[in-house]
Amino acid sequence: MAISQTPIGGGAALLLLPISLLLLLTTLAASLSSDSVVSELSNLQSQSPTGVIHLNDALLRRILSLPTPRPFHSMIFFDATQLHSKAELALPKLKSEFALVASSFQINNPNPNRNPQLFFFNIEFQESQASFGLFAVNALPHIRLIPPTAADVKTDSIQMDASDFSRLAESMAEFIESRTKLSVGPINRPPAVSRKQILFLLAVVLIWTPFFIKKLLTGKTIFHEKNLWMAGAIFIYFFSVSGAMFNIIRKMPMFMADRQDPSKLVFFYQGSGMQLGAEGFSIGFLYTIVGLMLAFVTHVLVRVKNRNVQRVLMISMLIVSFWAVKKVVFLDNWKTGYGIHGYWPSSW
Amino acid sequence: MAAPENPQQQAATIRHAFGNVLSFLILLLIGVLAFSIRLFSVIKYESVIHEFDPYFNYRVTQFLIKSGVYDFWNWFDDRTWYPLGRVIGGTVYPGLTLTAGTLWRIFNALNIPLTVETVCVFTAPIFSAFAAWATYLLTKEVKGVGAGLTAAALLAMVPSYISRSVAGSYDNEAVAIFALIITFYLYIKTLNTGSLFYATLNAIAYFYMVCSWGGYTFIINLIPMHVLLCIVTGRYSSRLYIAYAPLVVLGTLLAALVPVVGFNAVMTSEHFASFLVFIIIHVVALVYYIKGILTPKMFRVAVTLVVSVGLIVGFAVLAVLIALVASSPTKGWSGRSLSLLDPTYASKYIPIIASVSEHQPPTWPSYFMDLNVLAFLVPAGIIACFMPLSDASSFAVLYIVTSVYFSGVMVRLMLVLAPAACIMSGIALSEAFDVLTRSIKLQLLAATENPQINAGDATKVTPNDAVKTEKSEDSVKERSSRKSKKKEKENVEKASSVSRKEKRLLVLPLEASMIAVFLLVLLGAFYVVHCVWAAAEAYSAPSIVLTTRSNDGGLHVFDDFREAYAWLSHNTEVDDKVASWWDYGYQTTAMANRTVIVDNNTWNNTHIATVGTAMSSPEKAAWEIFNSLDVKYVLVVFGGLVGYPSDDINKFLWMVRIGGGVFPHIKEPDYLRDGQYRIDAQATPTMLNSLMYKLSYYRFVETDGRGFDRVRHTEIGKKHFKLTHFEEVFTTHHWMVRLYKLKSPKNRIRGKTKKSKSKATTTTSSKRIGARKKNPWH
Repeated sequence: MAISQTPIGGGAALLLLPISLLLLLTTLAASLSSDSVVSELSNLQSQSPTGVIHLNDALLRRILSLPTPRPFHSMIFFDATQLHSKAELALPKLKSEFALVASSFQINNPNPNRNPQLFFFNIEFQESQASFGLFAVNALPHIRLIPPTAADVKTDSIQMDASDFSRLAESMAEFIESRTKLSVGPINRPPAVSRKQILFLLAVVLIWTPFFIKKLLTGKTIFHEKNLWMAGAIFIYFFSVSGAMFNIIRKMPMFMADRQDPSKLVFFYQGSGMQLGAEGFSIGFLYTIVGLMLAFVTHVLVRVKNRNVQRVLMISMLIVSFWAVKKVVFLDNWKTGYGIHGYWPSSW
Repeated sequence: MAAPENPQQQAATIRHAFGNVLSFLILLLIGVLAFSIRLFSVIKYESVIHEFDPYFNYRVTQFLIKSGVYDFWNWFDDRTWYPLGRVIGGTVYPGLTLTAGTLWRIFNALNIPLTVETVCVFTAPIFSAFAAWATYLLTKEVKGVGAGLTAAALLAMVPSYISRSVAGSYDNEAVAIFALIITFYLYIKTLNTGSLFYATLNAIAYFYMVCSWGGYTFIINLIPMHVLLCIVTGRYSSRLYIAYAPLVVLGTLLAALVPVVGFNAVMTSEHFASFLVFIIIHVVALVYYIKGILTPKMFRVAVTLVVSVGLIVGFAVLAVLIALVASSPTKGWSGRSLSLLDPTYASKYIPIIASVSEHQPPTWPSYFMDLNVLAFLVPAGIIACFMPLSDASSFAVLYIVTSVYFSGVMVRLMLVLAPAACIMSGIALSEAFDVLTRSIKLQLLAATENPQINAGDATKVTPNDAVKTEKSEDSVKERSSRKSKKKEKENVEKASSVSRKEKRLLVLPLEASMIAVFLLVLLGAFYVVHCVWAAAEAYSAPSIVLTTRSNDGGLHVFDDFREAYAWLSHNTEVDDKVASWWDYGYQTTAMANRTVIVDNNTWNNTHIATVGTAMSSPEKAAWEIFNSLDVKYVLVVFGGLVGYPSDDINKFLWMVRIGGGVFPHIKEPDYLRDGQYRIDAQATPTMLNSLMYKLSYYRFVETDGRGFDRVRHTEIGKKHFKLTHFEEVFTTHHWMVRLYKLKSPKNRIRGKTKKSKSKATTTTSSKRIGARKKNPWH
C-alpha cells in the first residue's frame, strides 16, 4: 500500500489551542443555530466546481461546535501540497477521485433537504496544521468520515482503510454507503473525450468515409499493404508470447533491484509464477527470431543468386537459431526447474 | 480423369495415387498416435474419470442413457443445491453428453457392451484423433497436403491440448476443440469452393460447437472479422458471400435452439459483430453486383448514390445497435469477454473471475511448457501464409493472431491457441523441408549424374519436376473446386503456380541444407520427447487417485476419496444430505449418489456463503446452520497427515472470505494473526474454535503424539479437544477424507443437566427459536 509514514508535525502547544477553543465554543453552541452553518456549507458547496468544500481551522471549529447530532456527515480528505510530488502516495489522483465521488453524490442526490446530509471537505496541511493535530493525522493518504453523532472527533470518527480507496472512487462510494446509509449512486466519470471532441471526430469520420470507400474500391490503401499486415501479425505474436499482457495486468516493472545487493539489478526472476518486463521481452525476442530466420531462409535466401552469400548467411542463421533455442531451454530450466528428459518408466 | 497419354503423365498419376495412399496411412497413424498418447493416465493409474467437472458430466451422461433425451432436456436435479435443486437440461452445454451417449448407443448396437464410464473416459482421446484429422483438412485447404500432415502430427501431441483431453478428462473442451477446427475447416472449404453444400455443413458444425462449449463466441467473432478483413482488403467474392451469409442465418437459428444459449444468440453483444458484418457484406455484394452490370462511367455515378444511401442505412443500424448495447449495464458483454478485450478489466472489477487460476495471464514459461518448440516456428508460418496471401491463409493468420493475443490474457485460452500454433508450425516446417530437401535432392542428383555440374545444369533438371507437381496440383484443385470456379480464383492459382515454378529452380547450398534439415529434425525430436513427457508425467494425474513414489522406487497409491464416497453410498440413507466445500459436490453426487448442499456449478453465491459461514463458525453455530439445511453428514478433506496440499484447511480462507461477503459477522481478520494465516499455537481463538479446524484436526494428535501437520509444517495449536455437536463416523485410510455426523439434539440436552422433562423441552424450543433468528440461512 502506498501509505508512507510521513510525519507532519503539529506541536502540542498548537493542539491545546483548538481544544480549549472547542470547550469554549461548545457552551456557545446551543445558541448558534445549526441551520446557519448548514446553509453556509451548502453555499460553499455550490460555489466549488466539484462540490468539495475547502476546509480551514476556523470553519472546522465552527462545524465541530454544533451540538452533537449534527444534521450532516462530513467526509474529510487530508491533503498536503508539498507531498503531491511523491508518486507513491498518489495524492493528486486520490484527490480527484474524492472530488469525483463528491460531484457524483451531488448529481445523484439533488435534493438538499434530506436529513442527515453529507458534505465533502478537503483540508490542506500547510494552512490548517491545527486541524491535522486535532485528528492526530500523521500519515497520508488519510480520509476520514465524521458521523453526526461524533462528539470527540479523534475517537468517534471513522478512518477510511487503504482497501477502501484502493479501487478509487467506486470503493470510496461503497465506504460511504456502508457507513452512512446514504447512497452515492453511480460514479459519473467524465468521459475520456468530451462531447465536443466526439462530435468533431464523428464529423471527420463522416466526411472521410466516402473518400475512404472510394479509395477502397480502387484498392490502394494502407490496408492493401501486405507487408504491413505481416509486420503487425508478427508483432502481436511477439507481444503475446513475451507475456507482456502479464506485465500490463500485474504492473510488473522492467527490472528490479536485487534484495541482497541493491546496487545490482535483477532482470530475470526465478520462479514460474512471475516474470519481469525485460525478461519477457528478451524471451519473446528469442521465440520470434528463430521463426523469422527460418522464414528468411525459406523465402528470401533461396532467391539469392550468389552461392557464397547464401552459405555464409545460412550457416550464421543456423548458429543463431541453435543458440536461441538452447538459451530458451536453458532459461526455462533455470526458471521453472523443469529439464527436458525422456519418459522411460522403470515400472508402471 | 482423362486417360494418361504419355509415360510421363502416367508416372505422375501413379505417383499421385501412391502419395494419396501414403498420406492416408500417415493420417491413420496420426490418429493412433493422438489416441494412444492420451492413454498414459489409464496405464499409469486406471480407467477412471478425472478431476471434478467431469464427474458431473459423467452423471449427466448416465442420466441421459437411462432416461432418454427428452427427460434429459427437462431434468430437474434435486440431488444438488439442496433445498433449491438445479435445472440441468437448460443450464448445460449438451454437446459432450449427447456425443458420449450416442457413442455408447452405437457400441451397444454393435453388440459391444461397454460401461458408460468407459465410453466417457475414452471420448476425449477419440475426439483428439478426430481433431488431428480436422487439422489436416484445414491446413490442406490453406497450404496443401504436406503442411496438413505436419500440422496434424503436431496437433496430435501438442501438450496444451493433451492437458485437456487425456483419457478420463471428460469435459466440454474434449469435443469442443474438434468442433472448433472442423467449423473453421468447413468455412475455409466453402470459401475456396463457393459450394452451398459446404456452407450448410458449416452451419451444422457451428451448431455442434455451440452445443459443446461456451467458446463458440470465438468462432462467431473470428469469422466476421475475417469477412470484414477480406472486404476491406478488396478480396470480396461471391464465394465469401456464400461462406458467410448462410452461416449467420442458419447458425444463429440453430444456436438459438440450444437451451443454454437461447435468445442470447441474438441479444448479447458477443453476437452483434456478426450481424453488423452481415449487413456490410450485403451492401458490398450490391456494390459489386452493380459494378458488374454497369459501364465504368455509370458505375461512378451509381457509387456515389449507393455509398450515400448505404451510409445512411449503415449509420441508422449502427445507432440502433449502439443504443441497444449502451442500454445494458455491462454494455451487453459478459465479464469474461470484456476481460479479453480490456485485459485489466477483470482484475479491477470481477475478483471472482480474476481469482481463478486458469484466468491468470501466462508468463513466458507457460508458452514453452504448452507449445514447446512450436513457439519458435509460428512466426515462420505466419510469413509463409503471406507468400502468397490467399483467402484461406489470411484466415489462418487472423486465427493465430487473435488466439495468441487472447492466450496472453488468460492462460486457459492457450487451448484455443494450440491448433492455430500447430497449423502455423506445420506450414513453416513443411515449407522449410520443401526448400531444404529440394536443395539436397537436386544437387545430389546433379552430382551423381555429372560431377562437373554448374548452376545452369541444375535448372535443366528441374523443369521436369516442376511440370509434374504443377499438374498434380491442378488436378487436385480441379476436383475440389470444379463446381463453381471463379475466374479471379483461376488467376490467383495460375499466379501461384507460376511463382512455384520459379521457386523450383531455386536451391540452397547443399551442406548448409543438410545441417538445417538435421537441426529441424532435432527440433522435432525435442518436441516429441517433451510431449511424451508432458502427457505421461505432467497431465495424466486423475486427482481422484493420488500416487507417490517412495525412495526405493515403490509406488504408493492414495485412494481415500473413493473410499470415502463408497462408505457414504453404503452406510448412509439414500436421502441423507452431505455438506462439504463446493469442490467436492460433483464427486459426491456422482460417486456416492447423495444430496449435496453446494457443488462446482457455483451459481448461487449465498448458498455457498452459508456453507462457508458454517465451516468458519464455532461448533454450535455451525450445527444450527447445518441442521437448518437438513444436513446429516459433513465431509472434510484433510491433507495434514500425508502432506496433500489442496485440502480444506488451505482453502479455508476462501470459505471465510466468501462467507463473510454475505454474512458480515464472519470477519477475515479474526482468523489471521497479524495478517498471517496460521494453525499453530499462535493461531487466533476464532480459528482454533472454527468448525473446519476442529473437524480437520480432531484426534489428529493420536497419530504421532504431537500433531505435526505435514502440509503447513507446524505442530497444530489445539491438540486435545472433544466435539460436542458432531461425531466422527468415518476417516479414510490416510485421513484424507473425514466424515462427521451431526449429533441429534436430544443427546445434547441429556448430557447437559438432569432437569425435569418439561423444562428441557421448553428450553430446546426457545433455543431453537433463538437459533432461527441468528441463523443466516433464514
